[in-house]
Amino acid sequence: MSGEIFNPNPTVFRSSAKSHSSRSLSTAKKSLWINEPEWSQPDQETDEEEEAIDQDEIFDLIRNIYDPEHPNTLEELHVVSAPQIDIGENRVKVEFTPTVPHCGMSTLIGLSIRVRLIRSLPTRFKLDIVVKPGSHQSENAVNKQLNDKERVAAALENPALPYSLLFVCVSTLRLILNLVDLKDAIKTI
Amino acid sequence: MDEDLPYTLSNVAQLGGHEDRAWHIAWNPAKSLLASCSADKSVKLFTYSHDGEGTLNFTLAASIPTGHLKTVRSVAWSPSGRTLATASFDSNIGIWEQELDDDGNPGEWECASLLEGHETECKSVAYSSTGTLLASCSRDKTVWIWEVQPDSDFECMGVLMEHTQDVKCVAWHPTEEILASGSYDDTIKLYVDDPQDDWFCCATLTGHQSTVWSLSWSPNGKYLASASDDKTVRLWRRNGEYDFKCVLVLEGQERSVYSVSWGVGKSSQENDSSLGWIASAGGDGVVRVWDLSENPSSTADVPLVKLIARLPAAHGVFDINSVVWCPRKGYEDLLATSGDDVVTQTLQTTYQRRLRQ
Repeated sequence: MSGEIFNPNPTVFRSSAKSHSSRSLSTAKKSLWINEPEWSQPDQETDEEEEAIDQDEIFDLIRNIYDPEHPNTLEELHVVSAPQIDIGENRVKVEFTPTVPHCGMSTLIGLSIRVRLIRSLPTRFKLDIVVKPGSHQSENAVNKQLNDKERVAAALENPALPYSLLFVCVSTLRLILNLVDLKDAIKTI
Repeated sequence: MDEDLPYTLSNVAQLGGHEDRAWHIAWNPAKSLLASCSADKSVKLFTYSHDGEGTLNFTLAASIPTGHLKTVRSVAWSPSGRTLATASFDSNIGIWEQELDDDGNPGEWECASLLEGHETECKSVAYSSTGTLLASCSRDKTVWIWEVQPDSDFECMGVLMEHTQDVKCVAWHPTEEILASGSYDDTIKLYVDDPQDDWFCCATLTGHQSTVWSLSWSPNGKYLASASDDKTVRLWRRNGEYDFKCVLVLEGQERSVYSVSWGVGKSSQENDSSLGWIASAGGDGVVRVWDLSENPSSTADVPLVKLIARLPAAHGVFDINSVVWCPRKGYEDLLATSGDDVVTQTLQTTYQRRLRQ
């Protein structure tokens, strides 16, 4: 991990109230590396009426992910927001805004969002994770990497990656308050 | 369906057994054996035969744990059908042969050789038409060409470092020693051997707007089909020895196209100008089959193309990672697909317009 800080002084915004969602989700506080799908797969009987998922519910899943460089959540840095989430039929598109256009952590942030959603959402959802158009100097390269299923699969199989993800998170003081989460996270890798 | 297509794709068998994403499949060219590989690091072998009523039945014949430390991304049979190669994210290529017991009966599948050399994930592996060469590719941006020697020995004949990004797939010409590779750098490269020197890149095909996931030569070797993340399949016509030109772009796929396969087809009418059938599949979960034929009435070198079958949600809501035609005589209408739902399945393409009328 290089010692370079891409954005030494980000603007931190106040996090909005609790859960945005009418349906309270316990996931928001849990670690990134949760193992169990948060919504159990609809079984055959209830399959006919798949519950619709809205922007706020997706937002609740990703707002508390920590930025790799700062002791702040993606919500506090305005990297993610509910209006940047687009939901289609069995499709979720999440747009995120890197804090600076040269942010070298964008791929890591995008991957964190993808992993969080893969492990939380029912498998029927296809995910598109993209940076906000015009917000990053290597927009196409970042988007391509985040949406290459083979690279993502290989990255998740590579023990070095989650470890480095943890490393950058551990380096933030804020996470120490979430040691319980950290223990869970370590268990999963 | 609102479409009126002349052929239907119907499920022949659901082949379970894998415990994680099924990535790729390979039909044995010589006998009734289908190999399927998965993120669960195993290879499953299925046999198939017709029962008394003409129904094709598939049975799990063997499971090879492989010993690969990571995902087995792709599999390939040698033309003789006696050897199976596996490409793994653990950066190695495995070579598998079936042992013979004391009575000469086939026994367990054993690792005959392990080809090391790639630095990162191997993505694809392929035998040349004569079986004397093996090609492999990797995220390390290289393509390796191996000479197949007796007693499962392999000698590296060349390391081709032409691509600027991951190499996703390799495919040999059906008769000549020409290798094609597709990459994350959006290009396709073609390689040949210089008898006086080494293997070299003789052509670069540009046109795709994103990753090239899969390549398949036409059975007559005059065309190359490529599937891409740009949601298209492109057809490249060979106009000269190393001169390839894009002549058709097949559109309509709604997400990445992960796999393309070009088979001889089993057309309802005999047709000299037939180029066979192309099957494509990918992130939109739809299997599509196109009929291709040379255009007799035109001097243009653009072949005629017609979508003849379409099966949506072939793996439910899941991505389809591979689609492959059976190369064996009598089974030209048989397709195998593998998907993120952990399942490998086979599909039959059947002419049905007459039935409707």
